[in-house]
Amino acid sequence: MDFVLLVSRLQFAMTAFFHFLFVPLTLGLSTLSAIMLTLYYATNKEIYRDMAKFWAKLFAINFALGVATGLVHEFEFGMNWSVYSRFVGDIFGAPLAVEGLLAFFMESTFMGVYLFGWDKVPRGVHLLAAWLSSIGSNLSALWILIANGWMQHPAGAKVAETLAGKRAELTDWWGIVFNPVADVKFWHTATAGMVLSAVFVLAISAYHLLKKQHVEFFKRSAYIALVFGFIASVGEIIIGDIHAHEVAKTQPTKLAAGEALWETKKGANILLFAWADEEKQENVVEIPLPIPGLLSFLAAHDFNAEIKGAKDLQKQFEAQFGPGDYIPPVNFIFWAFHLMVYLGFYFVILFLLGLMKYKNLENSTGYLKMALYSLPLPYIACWLGWAFAEVGRQPWIVYPLTDDFGKILLPEIGLKTAQAVSPLTSVEVVITYLIFVLTFVGLAIADFYLLAKFATKGPEKEAELY
Amino acid sequence: MHFDLQTIWAILVTVLIAGYIVTDGFDLGVGILHTIVAKTDIERRVTINAIGPVWDGNEVWFITAGGAAFAAFPELYAALFSSLYIALFVVLLALIYRAVSFEFRSKEESEGWRKFWDQSIFWSSLVVSLLIGVAVGNILAGIPIKNSAIEGDMLSGFVYTEKFPISFLNLVNPFTFHGLFGLLVGVTTVLFIILHGVSWLIWKTEGEVAERARSVALKVWPLFVVMYVVCTGIAYTISFKVSNPENVKYLNLPEDMLKQIASMLNNGVLEHALFRFPAIEFALIVLAALSAVGYFFAVKNMNGAKAFLFSTLTFLFAGFAVMFGAYPLAVPSSYGLEHSISIYNGCSSNYTLTVMLVAAIIFTPIVIAYQAWVYKMFLFKISAESLRKEIEEAKA
Ligand code: HDD
Ligand code: HEM
Ligand code: HEM
Repeated sequence: MDFVLLVSRLQFAMTAFFHFLFVPLTLGLSTLSAIMLTLYYATNKEIYRDMAKFWAKLFAINFALGVATGLVHEFEFGMNWSVYSRFVGDIFGAPLAVEGLLAFFMESTFMGVYLFGWDKVPRGVHLLAAWLSSIGSNLSALWILIANGWMQHPAGAKVAETLAGKRAELTDWWGIVFNPVADVKFWHTATAGMVLSAVFVLAISAYHLLKKQHVEFFKRSAYIALVFGFIASVGEIIIGDIHAHEVAKTQPTKLAAGEALWETKKGANILLFAWADEEKQENVVEIPLPIPGLLSFLAAHDFNAEIKGAKDLQKQFEAQFGPGDYIPPVNFIFWAFHLMVYLGFYFVILFLLGLMKYKNLENSTGYLKMALYSLPLPYIACWLGWAFAEVGRQPWIVYPLTDDFGKILLPEIGLKTAQAVSPLTSVEVVITYLIFVLTFVGLAIADFYLLAKFATKGPEKEAELY
Repeated sequence: MHFDLQTIWAILVTVLIAGYIVTDGFDLGVGILHTIVAKTDIERRVTINAIGPVWDGNEVWFITAGGAAFAAFPELYAALFSSLYIALFVVLLALIYRAVSFEFRSKEESEGWRKFWDQSIFWSSLVVSLLIGVAVGNILAGIPIKNSAIEGDMLSGFVYTEKFPISFLNLVNPFTFHGLFGLLVGVTTVLFIILHGVSWLIWKTEGEVAERARSVALKVWPLFVVMYVVCTGIAYTISFKVSNPENVKYLNLPEDMLKQIASMLNNGVLEHALFRFPAIEFALIVLAALSAVGYFFAVKNMNGAKAFLFSTLTFLFAGFAVMFGAYPLAVPSSYGLEHSISIYNGCSSNYTLTVMLVAAIIFTPIVIAYQAWVYKMFLFKISAESLRKEIEEAKA
């Protein structure tokens, strides 16, 4: 592979993963903290005030790096993917601009009011600010996912020629806003943020309960997290299933790789475990789920439906788009997808167990340990999900538009990642890549150090000041 | 000048950039000033808390300006940010350090930790201010891009022809015209941002910090005025050649605009459009100068609100003078006018521009309204004493 292309991809993936290390906590914890603040203003019980304040402080520390990494993202499209940017700008730029105008302003302005407004602004305004900032965060996720959903399934567009070259042009604004791929992506990601934040609150509460400190405070925090998390994790699975259904309709190559399906099959099975020999294009091991035809059912809602296998898809794409490798790395995609799903079921169990043991939570040492050590798992689940979504769409940066049965409708809108990269020199991309890696790693360590410091310290009354 | 979608969008993007300089500008200024006017730890906390609740919201103007440029002028977004790759990278890096410095500084008691983040705030604010100016100066003077569609490549768009490290070094190379101009505009921007930061500090704080800020401003002001005059003067000498009049059609200009420049094309040189609306531009420049004078007296009298108003007006007038001067070019090319990005060949389709215009008309006023409301809530004065009291009360 071209070196500049390779490093540009690494750089983009790195920024995205760092950004998504901070974003899901922002999405969910802003809501949780707003719920606690609402409880305080409704009941006047001091404990909820301290709770809102404690979790908001952790939120703020996490938020700073979400902003820092997001900033890089916003400009990286132009910096590293200039051909992509000019090709899709007519469409893709719009949700990004709306995101800034509609979501980021709201989120960051009201976050300032929430964090700095304790006892300085009226209670009603303070509460409103907490909710507006949480809604703002989630709106920002909506718009960015509309942008991302469009590159997965470029609806509402045509290809046109201008004096600066060929490009995709918008034909239907509501078509990109109500792109089904984008909308389920949003719900799935928003619930992922909730699950992650619930595990975060639960795990830190478990830490303190294990030490038998601030028991009342953290038991109540854990309760809120358990209820919130249970609802979100069940929702996550349901939406995840709808999401998989959308992938099956619009991105046949991703589905085939995600299920390690080489041959076209009627009544295809879901594999619980598989390892493929990608050279020979067959599975070395496979353990199917004992419900025949389930994949066909999940993908097309019919136990006998035909699902295209990777080999046929490769032939079909080659005939249409010329030589190339159209199947993403099968083992990687299969495991990214399957581990995410397994984790999804694990979280439901985690929250359910917690609710069952709640009465005596402070003494359920085994469960508390399980909750504490689960802290990294939702982060991993999110990463796996994105790896599946983004690596699974390769070699395309804009996947050719399909109809609901995977038939390609608008081949010329497809843009390969390899065509999309900026004409930079290797030196430039390598320097910036290395410095970004060092910076992000360093700052992430400092950030986690501070998070750990304030999380283990427990609630305190100090004012939020710089 | 036409009142078409493209022109409206040129104005809107200018408004967003101006919004950025006016809002984030003062907190960048406070960032530069903060090690200079605040000596003790508690004073430094005063300067940082003076911008604490608002700097993040201010930075969103930058993001939104970037997003709007992407949506309305994708060719510009793609060409500019890949051309100024290293410069933008440095700006982003500085913004990253700035964002975390504010957050991290107060979270540890140790002196070394706080000193480190203080330096980080200073340098990052300085670098951002300087490089934004450098970029603007270079763009106005023209950068070496080529429209690949002229050579039949329909995918690559506008491509920067210089390669690293020349591409970066030339931006600040005082021996080239655009590099020199870039540096001058960069320094002028830094000076302006310092002055703007002072007006905020006088408005929002009291006591020694405000006093020291005032004396800084009185010293910096004459420098700024001289630099502004120099930059404006140089801007009027800029001109572009046309290597192939045939290809001027690639700018996609409206008919009458083409006619207007047709007579000049034969000589092969088009004087920079800065001459096109002399009356408007002259008026704007005079207004900018008058505002700067108003600023001086407001600072002298320690009237923070007035000083802020006047520094804001100074920038708005100066900024719009530049926009009118560059119009209808967005990024002129040093290879000749025909390779330039204009607001007509770099823009999105009319449909996208219309949809986005509706969004902008609805939401920009809402954003401005609630940001103003939040500012008002936080406009109480703070000082070393008030901060000390607040910390003690919280501990009790
Ligand atoms: C806590 C995190 C988490 C959990 C438990 C799950 N997911 Fe997920 N998933 C994500 C977090 C996530 C994500 C990070 O939010 C992704 C990445 C891209 C996206 O839109 O959401 C994602 C993507 C994603 C995609 C790919 C979309 C695409 O290619 O565009 C599918 C099909 C699913 N998920 C399905 C599921 C199913 C069936 C799950 C459970 C049974 C599940 N996910 C649990
Ligand atoms: C924050 C969560 C995200 C993660 C973790 C993520 C992950 C990745 C990864 C791993 C790649 C590299 C794929 C490869 O080279 O094989 C990639 C590429 C890319 N992603 Fe994402 N992505 C995220 C969100 C987004 C969003 C929201 C967008 C668009 C709005 C986007 C646009 C792109 C682009 C343009 C590329 C570069 C081209 C490519 O290599 O495909 N990503 N991303
Ligand atoms: C799944 C993908 C993404 C989601 C859900 C998401 C969501 C968010 C959220 C909730 C925030 C604010 C909270 C925080 O910073 O921690 C944020 C910040 C930011 N994101 Fe993302 N983002 C995604 C990907 C991207 C991409 C691809 C870009 C680039 C276009 C981007 C640009 C930004 C910027 C510029 C900020 C800083 C905003 C501020 O100052 O408030 N994000 N993102």
